[in-house]
Amino acid sequence: MWVLMLVTVLLLSACSSGGGGNKASEGEKTANEITIWAWDKAFNVAALETAKEAYQKQNPDLKINIIEYAQADIIQKLNTGLNSGTSSGLPNIVLIEDYRAQSFLNAYPDAFKDMSSTIKASDFAEYKLGPTAFDGKQFGVPFDSGVTGLYYRTDLLEQAGYKAADLQDITWDDYIKIGKDVKAKTGKDLITLDPNDLGLIRMMIQSAGSWYSKEDGKTPDLAGNAALKEAFVTYKAMMDANIVKLNSDWSQFVAAFNNGDVATIPTGNWITPSVRQEASQSGKWAVAPLPKMAGQSNSVHASNLGGSSWYVMNNVAGADQAADFMGKTFGSDKQLYQDLLNNIGAIGTYKPAAEGEAFDKADEFFGGQKVFADFAKWTQEIPSVNYGINTYAIEDILVVEMQNFLNGKAIDDVLADAQKQAEAQLN
Amino acid sequence: MNTGDSLQKKNNLTGWAFISLAVIGIVAFYFYPMLQALLLSFKSGVGANLEFTGLDNYKRLFIDTTFRTAVSNTFLYLIIQVPVMIILGLFISVLLNDSTLRFRSFFRTAIFLPCVTSLVAYSVVFKYLFSSDGMVNQFLMNLHVIAEPIQWITDPFWAKITIIIAVTWRWTGYNMIFYLSSLQNIDQSIYEAARIDGANAFTQFFKITVPLLKPIILFTSITSTIGTLQIFDEIMNITKGGPGNATMSISQYIYNLSFKYSPDFGYAATVSYSIVLMIIVLSIIQFKVAGERNG
Repeated sequence: MWVLMLVTVLLLSACSSGGGGNKASEGEKTANEITIWAWDKAFNVAALETAKEAYQKQNPDLKINIIEYAQADIIQKLNTGLNSGTSSGLPNIVLIEDYRAQSFLNAYPDAFKDMSSTIKASDFAEYKLGPTAFDGKQFGVPFDSGVTGLYYRTDLLEQAGYKAADLQDITWDDYIKIGKDVKAKTGKDLITLDPNDLGLIRMMIQSAGSWYSKEDGKTPDLAGNAALKEAFVTYKAMMDANIVKLNSDWSQFVAAFNNGDVATIPTGNWITPSVRQEASQSGKWAVAPLPKMAGQSNSVHASNLGGSSWYVMNNVAGADQAADFMGKTFGSDKQLYQDLLNNIGAIGTYKPAAEGEAFDKADEFFGGQKVFADFAKWTQEIPSVNYGINTYAIEDILVVEMQNFLNGKAIDDVLADAQKQAEAQLN
Repeated sequence: MNTGDSLQKKNNLTGWAFISLAVIGIVAFYFYPMLQALLLSFKSGVGANLEFTGLDNYKRLFIDTTFRTAVSNTFLYLIIQVPVMIILGLFISVLLNDSTLRFRSFFRTAIFLPCVTSLVAYSVVFKYLFSSDGMVNQFLMNLHVIAEPIQWITDPFWAKITIIIAVTWRWTGYNMIFYLSSLQNIDQSIYEAARIDGANAFTQFFKITVPLLKPIILFTSITSTIGTLQIFDEIMNITKGGPGNATMSISQYIYNLSFKYSPDFGYAATVSYSIVLMIIVLSIIQFKVAGERNG
């Protein structure tokens, strides 16, 4: 019996030391190949392919593996990998959503490579720098702009008596009024929403420079948050106006506008490929500036939804080459950003590349509108906020309170209760 | 020294040698992680920055309203699910045990088939069946049972019903197989004697079938309880816990704590241990209630 236990213990320790030791290259800075994880084949992965092609013209020796995973899988793999303390199995470069970036940088401070000397942070849009920097160092290479716009069906709005000019400088209250007219004239809903996803609230409050937490990124800022309160009230007004078609996931969301069931989509510019998917609607779409909040004096017609950036892993062999790849492509290559626009429609946040022929192209799908130029202009107006480390945890609390609010609970109680819960649950 | 002793010893060693691999495996992959998780449940912090915080995590359980919602949802599934699955399983198995029934094996296969489908695949199918313009709504509307589509997935009440329907579809056949196999072990002469004594089918079911199946009913109710307490895939794939945590289960909360929010693995481990505790308590109760004579 004792012998057996001894054997067991020995075997166990052998296992664990073997696990750490078999990766001899760990910690070395060079390798023959690097690996990159990203989600969204049509957008991020396609952008990587373009960057890879550009980089390999100068550096044909480095093999670059691009692996596509769903975002949730990347988060899971990254968390489990980094927690286990060994970097084997981790990629060299990983895409992380800006809302989650601070949580990763906080949780694993040594895991990511400091890119301060590889890229020039001031070359990127201001609002991207808060989420991607930590402790005074620039870790992320800012990538896609989550700049938002109001996509709308010109034909449906025309039937309801609205022209492009009527959508230029509107508030969310005007938007709801338009929705009622659209519903009355065409029978179509104005917008489709997933009750589990408060993206609309996020867009609204960031347009007023506000977020779920205070400047420090940790203290919940819900109870006294005027922008959040107005966003909640607006959300309920939309529901009460009966202009919302509910959806429960991404494919239903896309189906709602591809089928022509809704007249507008206020969302991030990354929706463009999904809108284009329905070729029969070509020429019927246009993009207006995002509505602003009537009661918030600092609210602008620009906001951000989602958006993500690249991170180089520190302790995986090939870290220096990965950093070099990032620096020479997304960090400085103006032509690359033109190609990204032309080939994929991906809008970056690299300021020196914010003009050029690609931006000037009239887009037939959007009735000849120069959508990229508009998005690029709005990108510069996005207010900078600190997403902090608890965006999704707080949002889950707010989702519940939103249901209570829709069912008649008073708004001040709703936000006060949310505040109390957030304070009790988050550290 | 006598040969008997050394032979005994040799046999012993051979025996240990045979089971040693399994023991090593169980220790390495069950007990070691369980112990680590227990230690982890006393730590707190973001990601890899963990530090000992004693019982703080366990105290947090009591003020955590999301945890409370998750527990009450899970128990709601439990209270409805386990009896429904057991009664339905029993009922179907007795019907299918009737030797005069035609196409018996077809029905058996049909009802057992859901159990071999992938959890994720069937969840996704259910999600689309029950979506607001999905097949279920269209069917009900064509029959004029309802005038407007039911918001199966985005309404808090109907979302729970959808989960319950899905789980019942998936697992009823699993319990049925256990009942069928033990029904076949019941001596038919008992039923014959009962019939001669004038017992009708109803009496036969309650006085003979149920008491004789008692151990197996206990077994299925415990496995169903454990399964329901750990319910995850259906909820993750059909409703993601929503709308507004209306369908959130404990396991999904653990997932959220570990991967959706800033990772707090310590607290997630604490919540996991709360499930362990619940399973132990419920299993003891079930043994006491159903199995007093076997125990």
